[in-house]
Order: sequence, then structure tokens, then C-alpha cells
Amino acid sequence: MMLAIVSITAHAQVKEFERYSDTKNVTYVYISKFMLQAVGKKAAPSVQGVNLNNIMNKLTGIQIITAEEKSAATRLKTDTQNIVKNGKYELLMQVDENEEKTRIYHREGKQQSVIVMLTENTAETTVIVFSGSFTLNDVTTLTK
Amino acid sequence: MDELNINNIDLNELEQIPIPEGLEERLSRKIDEWEKETLSTTLPRHGEGDRSGSLSLRSKPNGSPHYGGDVRRTERVFSWTAIAASIALLMGLGYYTFTRVDGDAVTAPPLAERDTYHDPLLAQQEAERALTLLAVNLNKGMTQLEKAQTLSRKTEQTLNKQLKALE
Repeated sequence: MMLAIVSITAHAQVKEFERYSDTKNVTYVYISKFMLQAVGKKAAPSVQGVNLNNIMNKLTGIQIITAEEKSAATRLKTDTQNIVKNGKYELLMQVDENEEKTRIYHREGKQQSVIVMLTENTAETTVIVFSGSFTLNDVTTLTK
Repeated sequence: MDELNINNIDLNELEQIPIPEGLEERLSRKIDEWEKETLSTTLPRHGEGDRSGSLSLRSKPNGSPHYGGDVRRTERVFSWTAIAASIALLMGLGYYTFTRVDGDAVTAPPLAERDTYHDPLLAQQEAERALTLLAVNLNKGMTQLEKAQTLSRKTEQTLNKQLKALE
């Protein structure tokens, strides 16, 4: 039973990004399904112009990886590009604005769908990984 | 023919019937033999895998008691109990290993599998921030897409007007 619980918890994250939990000069944040569900039970989050209700219950985990130090930021960017390339992710959107570049990648699976958002600017590089059982349609409803 | 009626039997007469010599010893010897046979069929099964003893007991033609079935049932119960106890022990050890606390730090599960936030409110704020960033970037892209679509529509309309004018 314990093994089953551990394997379910482990599956909630995208394994390829887990290595950053123990990397120097990199901040790794993980929010589990249980915590997201606890959030969902509370009052609905209120962010103007963003509808979080639909997708919040479908997420099984969020990983946020941030690197400010230059070499760590470069490594994070290269690693992420390799992960999306090897994992056969599709480029959903690319936004280049002033000194900030954002790439949004998507991979839809039967068991788990993943969205990877890579943002780089002069101050830091951030990778946000959303995993869960959602569809692209659920993602587009975020902006409504 | 006289019928034998149990009510007519005189118990005093029965007690006076002579008992064959050595019957008691023979009976107790037979009981001892059965006991030995039962023990010999239970012990070798684990070591040698010999099932013939228990089978011969079961097929005893002289109506002697069938200990084999009970013994096998008891063995099976003990085997399952042992398996269940082993699983319980392993689960207990696993639970202890995964939840053991060294001072303030929980040793397991591994770092990557642990929630960064223990306070749901902080987790909510961070989740909101992440999702809002995603939504904002998606909005930027969608806005540009809408602009491009509008421009494309206008160009198409202008082109159609010009084509009609040429006709």
C-alpha cells in the first residue's frame, strides 16, 4: 500500500525535472495534488481575467524551477530544451517581448498531460511544469 | 425369532461377560500407533515433500480416523498466517522508514516528492501565481493571434473589393 502511495505521488511529477530538487543555485518548488485539492476546497481563487476553477481540480502537480545565477540559468534552459525535444513535446506558443522570451510546450497523454512554460529574461530563467489530466481546451479556458 | 430389545438387556449380566485378555493394552497400543503415524505425516512434508503418508491415512480401509485433512488445513492456516505476518512486518518497516523523523527533518520520501509548502494558503498563492503567468502568456499570444486574424480579414476584404472593381 505504501509503495502504491509513493508511486502515485512520484507519478504526479514530471520525472525529468525532479533532479532540480537538489541542484545548487536553483530553487525548486513542488505543489502536490493533495495541496492543490486542499486549495480547491477553499474559496475560489480570484484573479482578474483568469479562470482557475476549471483547471485547478485537474492538475496533479506543479513544479516551479527558478535559476538566477547565470550558469545555472543557462543549464536549466538547455536541459529544458532537451527534455521537450526528447519527450516529443509540441511548441504551443512562443512570445518574445522586449527582453523576455517565453515558450509554452505541451504534451497530451492518456494518463498524464504536461505543459512546460520556459521563461527567460535578464534576471532569471523560470520553468513551470503543470501536470494533470487536462486537455488543451481546459488550458484555453484559463484566459476566459 | 427373538428380537433383541435394548430395554431387555440386563447391565449386571453384561458386566459379568469376561473381557478378552490384553484387549486394553492392544487398544492403547493401536491408539499410540495412530498418533505416531499422524506425527510422521505432518513433519516430513516440509522437509521432503512426501505426501504418501497423508494419502495413506486418508485411504485407510479399516475406518481409522482421518487426521490428514485437518492437519493439512491447519498447516495451510499457519502458512497464510506466516505470510500475512511477514507482509505486516514489511509494511510496518516501510512505514517506519518513510515517516521516521530525525530532529526536524523527515528523512523520506525523497526531497523531490515532498510538498514544498505545508500551508495550503501558501501553496494556493504559488499555484495561482504559476497559473496566472501561464494565462498572461497565453493571453499575449492569443491577442496577437486575434490581431493577425483581423488584419488577414481586412486584407482579404480589400483584395476582394479590388478584384470586383477590376471585373
